[in-house]
Amino acid sequence: MSHQTLEQVFREASGHIVAALAARFRNLDLCEDAFGEACVRAATAWLRTGPPEDPRSWLYCVARRCAIDRLRQQRTQEKYTPLLLSEDAMEEPDSEEIPDERLRLIFVCCHPAIAAESRAALTLKLVCGLSTREIAQAFLVSEATMGQRFVRAKRKIAESGISFEVPGANAWPERLAAVLSTLDVAYSKAHEAAACDGSHANFATEMLELTKTLAFLIPCDADVLALAATVRFAEARRPARVRDDSSMCPLAEQDPHKWRRDLIDEAHAYLQRSLRAGRASFRVVQAQIQAVWCSRASLQDPPPWSEVLSLYDELIAIRDDPFVRINRAVVIAEVVGPQAALAEIDSLDGIRLQGYGPFHAVRADVLRRLHRASEALQEYTAALECIHTSAERTWLMQQMHRLSEGTASSI
Amino acid sequence: MQYMLMIYEDESQFGADKNNPQIKALIAQHMEFSKSLGATRVGGAGLAATASATTVRRSGDEHIIHDGPFIEAREQLGGFYLIDVPDLDAALEIAKKIPLLTSGSIEIRPVLGG
Repeated sequence: MSHQTLEQVFREASGHIVAALAARFRNLDLCEDAFGEACVRAATAWLRTGPPEDPRSWLYCVARRCAIDRLRQQRTQEKYTPLLLSEDAMEEPDSEEIPDERLRLIFVCCHPAIAAESRAALTLKLVCGLSTREIAQAFLVSEATMGQRFVRAKRKIAESGISFEVPGANAWPERLAAVLSTLDVAYSKAHEAAACDGSHANFATEMLELTKTLAFLIPCDADVLALAATVRFAEARRPARVRDDSSMCPLAEQDPHKWRRDLIDEAHAYLQRSLRAGRASFRVVQAQIQAVWCSRASLQDPPPWSEVLSLYDELIAIRDDPFVRINRAVVIAEVVGPQAALAEIDSLDGIRLQGYGPFHAVRADVLRRLHRASEALQEYTAALECIHTSAERTWLMQQMHRLSEGTASSI
Repeated sequence: MQYMLMIYEDESQFGADKNNPQIKALIAQHMEFSKSLGATRVGGAGLAATASATTVRRSGDEHIIHDGPFIEAREQLGGFYLIDVPDLDAALEIAKKIPLLTSGSIEIRPVLGG
């Protein structure tokens, strides 16, 4: 088993195992440390003898034993009994099966008593297994600052008596808003790499599971259902998002025959329920945009640009957001023309958006269409500086190459 | 007459080390002091650090939950309840129901050893 495969197994198992341990031991530091120790032991044992049949179970059982050992040590050294810990949590493992407690852990991480800026980060760390460095990058803060936020948030959870239970119905609305925005961030990170090679790509699958669980537990909330729909529509297109030459395939050029019908059907069912459940919120309209794209049956069908544009207008009316406006500019370029799209992009706060990959990529594309080659090249270079996923980079470099060869079409 | 005596100190001087001999000595002094009060003492406890505080800000029926002890300077401590509940959510539920004349804030802090 290679070092890289090991890392992969650890990362994918981490959220599931830490959540199961947390539900049992109610001490996040202890659970993280125990999981870390299990990984260290696995690295030695598996490299020598090969991985066990079920690596996750192996890790879970070892981590659970490590946690119990640590607690016993603490008890003898400090006569310290952790808060809320029942005696049966200390019993030796009885089953190999890992209970799915991730939703509980999500509600703990997204508790309103935790600083808002730490909730999503903590969920990404504990539930999705991302490293502090990766999360710091995603939130544009230093690794040290993010580390401090984790320390403070975990201390708050430990000391203030935040319960490790899924909250009761009266607390739902308040607690849910925090959970949903956390999942939004997590999924947008997973979605940005077409080739699934970004460090976050593997929890795209986890997101299908998490949104399904959430929709099962909260069956009548329009936003919960809409998020479950959006994630499915987007994941359904995954097989068509990369071309044979490993470059990204833009949405309008994807062959709908390659899209996963099973996921599209599931997504439509969620969207229908969402539309019946409540008003057209931001998330519901986002899901509708996805649905319009996924209703395309073949490349012979004209792309649904004008329908998509009117949904984007609805989205802006609900919440005017520069990130939505960048996506809308792509649609404006098709429906109205590249000049109008450029005007839209240049009306945004360019200084604030410096270093945001899609801003540079969309601006480059529009300039290319306007035959403003040298400016376009500059923007492509800026885009390549902040986009690190392989398929997107290959596509950007192809576009640049076409431009510098002077063969760029005006389409 | 009953009085609530509130002890204000700079918590940063306590540090993270529970075994700091100076702090152990202080705790011993408190125990001694409590004993010397006899029946004069109705109740009392140390509080966990402000990092563990949660505040419910109330205005009419609206409430917002904050991380931290963010009481506004124009609000003064006007009373207190000491409650025994299973977790923070239960404490928050009660805090939301505490009667207020118009608006205000309720800071929730775990009692040490509670």
